[in-house]
Amino acid sequence: MPDGRIPQIGVVFPRTDALTKVSGEEKFAADYYGQDLVWAGVKRAGIPHARLKSLDVDQARQVPGVIAVLTHLDIPGENRQGVVRKDQPVLVDDKVRHAGDALALVLAESKPALAAALNSIRCELEPLPGVFDPEQALAEGAPLVHEDNPEGNLLLKAEVKTGETESVWEECAAVIEACFETPHQEHCFLETESGWAKVESNGKIVIVASTQTPFRDRTEVAQVLGRDHTGIRVIAPYAGGAFGGKDGITVQSLLGLAALHSQGRPVKMWWDREESFSAGTKRHPARMYYRLGAKADGTLHAVEVRLYLDTGPYDHLGGAVMTQAVEHSGGPYRIPHAWLRGWAVYTNNPIGGAFRGFGVAQVTAAMEQMMDLLAAKLDLDPVQIRLKNAVRRGDKNCVGVTLTGSAGLSECLEKMAAHPRWQERQTWIRAAGLLKRRGVGLAAVMQAVGYGPFVPDVANAKVELTLEGKIRVYSGVVDMGQGNAATNLQIAGSILSQTPAQMELILPDTDRTLPSGSASASRCTYTFGNALIGAAQALKERILQRSADLLMAAGPDELVLVSGLVRRVTTGQEIPLAVLAKWLTDAERIAVYRFRAPVAQERPAKDDQVRLHGLPHCIFSYGAHLAMVEVDELTGAVEVKGYLAITDSGRVLNPQTYEQQIHGGIVQGLGYALSEDFRVTDGLIQTSDLATYIIPTAMDVPDMLSIPVEINEPTGPFGLKGVGEVAMNGPLPAVANAVAAACGGRCYSFPLTSERVLQLMTAS
Amino acid sequence: MREVFLPRTLDELWDLLHRRPEAAIYAGGTDVLVKLRAGLITASGLICLERIQELKGVRDQGDEVYIGAATTHRTLLADPVIQEHFPILIQALNVLGSPPIRNMGTIGGNLVTASPAGDTLPPLYVLDAEVEVRWGDGAKRLPLSQFILGPGKTSLGPGQLLTGVRLRKSADYNVHHFEKVGQRKALAIAIVSLAAVLQVSDSGRIEKARLAWGSVGPTVIRSVEVESALEGRIISRDTLTKAAALAQTAVSPIDDIRAGEAYRRTVAGNLLLRLINYAR
Repeated sequence: MPDGRIPQIGVVFPRTDALTKVSGEEKFAADYYGQDLVWAGVKRAGIPHARLKSLDVDQARQVPGVIAVLTHLDIPGENRQGVVRKDQPVLVDDKVRHAGDALALVLAESKPALAAALNSIRCELEPLPGVFDPEQALAEGAPLVHEDNPEGNLLLKAEVKTGETESVWEECAAVIEACFETPHQEHCFLETESGWAKVESNGKIVIVASTQTPFRDRTEVAQVLGRDHTGIRVIAPYAGGAFGGKDGITVQSLLGLAALHSQGRPVKMWWDREESFSAGTKRHPARMYYRLGAKADGTLHAVEVRLYLDTGPYDHLGGAVMTQAVEHSGGPYRIPHAWLRGWAVYTNNPIGGAFRGFGVAQVTAAMEQMMDLLAAKLDLDPVQIRLKNAVRRGDKNCVGVTLTGSAGLSECLEKMAAHPRWQERQTWIRAAGLLKRRGVGLAAVMQAVGYGPFVPDVANAKVELTLEGKIRVYSGVVDMGQGNAATNLQIAGSILSQTPAQMELILPDTDRTLPSGSASASRCTYTFGNALIGAAQALKERILQRSADLLMAAGPDELVLVSGLVRRVTTGQEIPLAVLAKWLTDAERIAVYRFRAPVAQERPAKDDQVRLHGLPHCIFSYGAHLAMVEVDELTGAVEVKGYLAITDSGRVLNPQTYEQQIHGGIVQGLGYALSEDFRVTDGLIQTSDLATYIIPTAMDVPDMLSIPVEINEPTGPFGLKGVGEVAMNGPLPAVANAVAAACGGRCYSFPLTSERVLQLMTAS
Repeated sequence: MREVFLPRTLDELWDLLHRRPEAAIYAGGTDVLVKLRAGLITASGLICLERIQELKGVRDQGDEVYIGAATTHRTLLADPVIQEHFPILIQALNVLGSPPIRNMGTIGGNLVTASPAGDTLPPLYVLDAEVEVRWGDGAKRLPLSQFILGPGKTSLGPGQLLTGVRLRKSADYNVHHFEKVGQRKALAIAIVSLAAVLQVSDSGRIEKARLAWGSVGPTVIRSVEVESALEGRIISRDTLTKAAALAQTAVSPIDDIRAGEAYRRTVAGNLLLRLINYAR
């Protein structure tokens, strides 16, 4: 619980939401009910590719307790949505493009009536040949997911070329070629997609949703409902996890549509776990072809990459994810000659979307294994080869962008090289028990902060001195569990010298807070924090100035702000903030500030579409990860016995929240590395629930050590860079490198299940 | 809506079973509630055994120990008699589900569910457990291996209830070994499991061996052939490797979402090699 101290930057500030969450008091979107509640639910296709011939909902409308059954014919506006390319129907009108597509929306008095009505809907679907592999989807004659897409099944191609591409390979002392495959990954947030909506007496549609993007949702829902966005209000409480899976529309448009047919009653939609799996987005599966060459001393010389990302039937954020993957595909290294290409491809598989790491988890998995393969071939130390090539401030990175921001990868690697877990690894490895093999592996990671050059990475902060004399902070960016709402109080409290009890927090609400972009891209505290500093400083200045006037002081220098009051230190006079507030007009009590993140000026890709999708960035977080694994010779089971993450994400505002982000990223990354074997056969999910899709439990998590390398980022709030994603990227390659060291061979498909590892050991 | 009955005595239960023969019976509900949610059980009524005291608890009866069918895994784990005499059962219970599942689930439920992956089954097979089945005016006692007929199938007839498990105390074994291979360390369904009790002499010779495998056949697999291959021999890599090859032919696993047939077969044998840890 927050204590009575004025928060300071750099020390632990307990989350203001901790107690309300553990006590159950905090209301998530899934907790909204209300009098006369109507339940809304969706009929899903169940087959991956089919033409919709007819939809018979008459029988469903007769089910007792059914209020309405709606189809695409009931959508008043545009029946296509999407963040970049609008290619996803709210309700299918021509074709089913994946098994989780929505065909009809039902409103009912109760959940049993809802289930009965959904079962009574008859759909005539003419099955079509599907396409389930991204490379096959690009081949001549492949079935088309969108017949009207001029580029067939290609959503977007991104290409970056620096230096030479032909003759350079002969100049290398060692060249490694390999192909890696990574699977879908499910977000598995505790709170599945959920929301609540109601039409208010003034006609405004209020939607409370578990979302990362309330302002963008408002625009998208308005387009679907054919209304002006001012007729819609989206409220975003704390989300029970999101990780990118709520970056965009899930239930929002359906709820808006349902609210128009519920006769003024509140409507609730809450997907169960199976529906979350079938309809929700996943991390894009990737097939990654790599060629990497170096000089004899380990200096990287050339890299060639081809990435195929399966985006499923809709863009969602697939183009942007693929572009980000291309940008990071050469790793955090100086490589003079790079030819990096990526294809985001439509298929009839589940939808690919945003997921912590945003394309970077995939390419780091490949590139960091390439680095180990190269080190082995040249007989070099894996830390030293990374250190030799690590990007430093002022270097050009692998897409040719000059790094103007802080770059602490070398510092992370140097700390790793000196750490006992690396220094004493041979002793640890030799201590393996009977029938066990041990290995230690590492990975260097990076993650861009923010949206990139085109989409304005902007936040608008607002801070208010209330009539009660409290400081009210309007959070513009959703807190999906990462703790940025509390960080906002910490920032405002430290600038305005107020204890938590003197402050109030308003969570994102399109009618109350100001648009500040999505909770994504490691940008929340970087971008919004910068805006908030500006707003808090402006309010502080105004409070001191007006107090000086009231006390007839020569100027604000005589005054200090302490919790709840202003003190004139020269005389001892005090003005409670509640008194001061009454001397200000409503407009004066509020301060706002806008911040836009800096943008790289280079244009590494010739195609403007690539720039529009986010390439390049100019600020990156970095890290060095180390995994200590033990492999069982009899079963192939891989146990991670210890983990070390050394991270440069700038200065640390709150060590506790920071460590939680690192730990969370590691655990999610270990699931990706070892057990989360998402399987899809001909477009149908085989691992359709949490009994078959295996995420780590507390028992599977090793001792994790997180060490920050606190380098000041000149453009960051108090020197900070984003830390939400970077730790996600390390575990798969670090564990894979450790397993390869232990087994003397390497798997190229992931995750590293016991079955795969036992096969590997049998073969090698 | 579905009726839920909470009988407090066996007599009340027999009466209920007579009146509502279609009702589904459960104790902890860790299997039945999952099936209900999935629509696999459509019975209009549920009978909960949780409040019938006669079905709960461990009774030390001298040569034998009686375990009420509705005794939770948590209770068994904490029971000194079970800890002293049946350490292999404790080992299996420790990796069954998760703390909440162990708090709710019962030994009787694990047996009636009759999954080849049920974690208590292999230890109970090697301990030659017997089960007690009762009905309104009768009772019988039969070996566990005759009670479980196949995946999800038992020999329980209409109106009959599994009321308890009987285990004979034995001083024969000085090695009690259980290993479960799952996809993670908790909340895991066994891909393969092995229960082994051995009597190993001071010189390292296996005098007596009882082995049972889970999840590699329609029910728990036992193999006299493998046991004979071990008995009379010194624990060594060679002995165990030969026994492993026999075990691999004795099991009949299937492919499923958790693992392939070949992996299960290989590991079923490999797990015997772990017994090298008990070599003298």
